[in-house]
Amino acid sequence: MTGPDFHELVGDDLPEEELARLRRAHDLLLAAGPPPELSPGLEQPPTLDTDVVVPFLPRRRRGRGIGLAVAVGVLAFMLGSLWGTEKHDFDADRTVQMHGVGAHRSALASIEIGDESGENIPMVIRVRGLPPLSKRGSFYELLVTSEGKQLASCGVFNTKAGEPTQVRLSVPYRLGKDQTWYDGWVVVRRVRGSDDAPVVMTT
Amino acid sequence: MELALPFPARLPGRAEIATIHTMSVHEASDGELMRRVREGDRGAFELLYRRYSRPVFGLALRRLGDRGRAEDALQETFTSVWRSAGSYRPERGPVAPWLFAVARNAIVDRLRQRTDTTADVPEAAAAEPGPPDRAEADWISWRVHRALEELPPAERQVIELAYWSGLSQSEIAEFLNAPLGTVKTRTRSGLSRLAGLLEEEELR
Repeated sequence: MTGPDFHELVGDDLPEEELARLRRAHDLLLAAGPPPELSPGLEQPPTLDTDVVVPFLPRRRRGRGIGLAVAVGVLAFMLGSLWGTEKHDFDADRTVQMHGVGAHRSALASIEIGDESGENIPMVIRVRGLPPLSKRGSFYELLVTSEGKQLASCGVFNTKAGEPTQVRLSVPYRLGKDQTWYDGWVVVRRVRGSDDAPVVMTT
Repeated sequence: MELALPFPARLPGRAEIATIHTMSVHEASDGELMRRVREGDRGAFELLYRRYSRPVFGLALRRLGDRGRAEDALQETFTSVWRSAGSYRPERGPVAPWLFAVARNAIVDRLRQRTDTTADVPEAAAAEPGPPDRAEADWISWRVHRALEELPPAERQVIELAYWSGLSQSEIAEFLNAPLGTVKTRTRSGLSRLAGLLEEEELR
């Protein structure tokens, strides 16, 4: 179980009793691990037809399409607002939206995928709200996934504080609009010296 | 307070959510919310959901290991809360353990469904509560995640960045574009508040 250095967080100038209280909270945080990220549909308060006894949220399989459509629409609008005024000359065939998880839940990203007829598929990832990784040799990595399993890397990047990041990537394999061999994307953080690569963004 | 629905005959709907604006998340206790839910108050139900959806989902995800099934368990849990609010007895204990038990039942139901549909998986024991250490770990996560929901957003953000993003205090300050001293102060006060919340719960 690793985590931040307790003394770096709280200093050493507190009374012993208070230090012990904070230490206990620190230990419990480490033991608990990060809270899970709810999908956008589950973040919303209950919405239901009041005349029928049904689960207050649409059942996952029934309502997933509607929920996703709304979430994607909102996300697309937000991303459009964020980056709509930026100039770029990338000709995208399709766009995939991503959102942050855990401590990065406010982060947003879009992946624009270009022409897939060639050998190398161009794409542009635009990211906002991910903290820059200042430790040398640390970076974010974009991967495609299937049922949560990370399958193939699409490239690496870092971000700048306070600014949207736009990075061109290229992958030597076809992704395919029908997504037959994968079902999602993630961004993981890789910090030099650590084997842990937590997911910080997902589709 | 609005409405006089007979004991929850129906689940809440969006149209009549009125109390949410008059009752802040930090104002009402869990017990007060449950009392209102029992009376059919949709706003109270929403607040309860906001407080507990993440802990419930976290518990379900750990036990079921599948996001979709965990989402089902989350929905089932709160459906049960709405329908069974009348069975909650404040004199028997606080809301958190009661809701923990409701969630665990919904999760066990899903584990049973899985073992019923896949005959070759000999996991009948998995439907039981599990080893004490796992139950203890579940309970710790539940309490901590529940307490995190109570922190002011600014304190919660620095705590989450410090503990689960691997960022140093300086990196958090740079990321948030805030003075290092502010980050340190928020971290310390967030930890102190969290400690207080966890202590309060232990005393209940």
